[in-house]
Amino acid sequence: MTSSEPVGTANPGAAFMRRLRNDHAGLSRVLRTIDGLLDRLAGEPEAVQPILAEAFGYLLRYQHGYHHPREDRLFEKIRRKRPALADTLAKLEEEHETGERETAELAEALAAEPPDALRGKKGERLAARIHGYIQHARMHMRDEEAVFYARAEKVLGKSDWAEIIDGDGTEDPAADMAVLADQYPELAAHFDLPTRHPGRSETADPAVNAPHQLMLDVTDLYGGLLHEGFDLTRRNARRLLAVRGPIGLVRTVGAITSDNLRFAGRCVTRPSRWAINTGADWLIARVKPVQDG
Amino acid sequence: MVSWQTRTAKLLGRLTVRQALKHDLSVDDMRNQIRRMERFFPGVPDDVHIELEPGLAHCDAEWLTPVSGATERVVLHLPGGAFMTRFKRAERLLLARLCRDAQARGRLVFYRLAPENPYPAGLNDCLEAYHQLLERGVAPEHIFVSGMSAGGCLALALMLSLRDHCMPLPGGAVLMSPAADFTDEPDQGSRVDNAKRDALLSLEQGDEIRRLYLGGRTELKTHPHVSPVLGDFTGLPPLFFQVSNTEILLDDSRRCAERARAAGVSAEVDIWDRMPHGWQALSFTPESGRAIARLADFIRERCP
Repeated sequence: MTSSEPVGTANPGAAFMRRLRNDHAGLSRVLRTIDGLLDRLAGEPEAVQPILAEAFGYLLRYQHGYHHPREDRLFEKIRRKRPALADTLAKLEEEHETGERETAELAEALAAEPPDALRGKKGERLAARIHGYIQHARMHMRDEEAVFYARAEKVLGKSDWAEIIDGDGTEDPAADMAVLADQYPELAAHFDLPTRHPGRSETADPAVNAPHQLMLDVTDLYGGLLHEGFDLTRRNARRLLAVRGPIGLVRTVGAITSDNLRFAGRCVTRPSRWAINTGADWLIARVKPVQDG
Repeated sequence: MVSWQTRTAKLLGRLTVRQALKHDLSVDDMRNQIRRMERFFPGVPDDVHIELEPGLAHCDAEWLTPVSGATERVVLHLPGGAFMTRFKRAERLLLARLCRDAQARGRLVFYRLAPENPYPAGLNDCLEAYHQLLERGVAPEHIFVSGMSAGGCLALALMLSLRDHCMPLPGGAVLMSPAADFTDEPDQGSRVDNAKRDALLSLEQGDEIRRLYLGGRTELKTHPHVSPVLGDFTGLPPLFFQVSNTEILLDDSRRCAERARAAGVSAEVDIWDRMPHGWQALSFTPESGRAIARLADFIRERCP
């Protein structure tokens, strides 16, 4: 996903910008992981809370600890070269500050209570807050990419880059699964899941789903009849408009009457057939002896 | 929890599209009905610029660019519509939102449709669109192929074809409920289990769609470019699938991802809870925004 190329080699500007881009890649991955867990927070807090706690720890320690200071130094240089961008850059810097505060608050909220306290409404409220945070973080990244990603390398010279580039070389732990697993084991275990279930908060119990299944059947049944009814009405209208002379009218009325009667018959037989079949299935399911093994 | 907007869309879909697909409907009728329905989809947001630039031998294509400025990323989008129709406005809006979120340029390809142009005409148009991007200097690793439903099938077929011809492969693919199995043979799994639960699709017209798309040569249905689920995924770029647990096409995504992983390809599947087919295009639902944001996250991860 990312490279750990040392900053400060042949093309320091390009290497530095690549590092920022890789930071965004790591951040996107973590945001997607968090987003995939939110629906389960209120229902299974004991499983979700530790992963979210680690994810917010990562955001605080790496994204706010290293990535944003790097960007702030870059903004400062761009601002000097392109004063017209001052307002936009000031807005992005302010978002770094408010983002860090919000991250710290959410990390605290996740750590403050035992997981069980997050079951139900409290967990739902926290999940909604985290969801808002994720949306905001995504928009912030988008704005940054639009505003300075394309410009920085064109605007800044060698001496500017020399001042911007930091010597610490700290890499994004999300770029290396071994490092991530070492520092954030719970988060790492959720990084490479082959299947995720966004939006699923309830368990699929067949007994609970039975009335829902019945509703779907009824909707299909009457939806089908409704569809045929509309079709028939359209066809009838077309036939009536095409009538030429009294004989044509008699023929058309005859055809319309027979089609309508056939449709009326379907309206009576189809629901009753469905009701008899469903009732029979229900009865068989109850009368049939349970088989062992 | 499914939002009320999505629940409403599902009910409307069940009462209209699903019923229409269950009955004998000519291709022209289907296209007319879609044109009528399309009026309800809003246009592309102001912050995305559209440029109609054909440049392809047999079909139209458009460029969509976020006004705020795009990165090097390019999303090559192949719309769905059972290979015979398309929701032009809805797909354009979907791609515009994806491009805005991923800060990418979008290339929307209106490949030729069956039955007038049966297989492989549509796939050839997609290949041409991809080659055109390379000719214009877009690096393959910056290209992401995206496709919904039938477009997802073409996206997979496109990558298999590129790999077979030793062409440079794109940086990844985002696939929304791809229809990747044209054999329709499994008598178990999601095509049976979800036959009643799917709010839009129904298998009643499956044979007819197959006959029209393949121009009568139904023996081609097992060809990997027609049913990519039967293909060899070795060497393909990372794949990201989105599908709903109530779709008849659920197993297509699952099986493709399993085969891809078995071939050493990174493949993730998002299985959403009780969404209708193509919910990503329903811009008025919150789940659509969230799904697109997740697709954009994937693109940003794989193409920093």
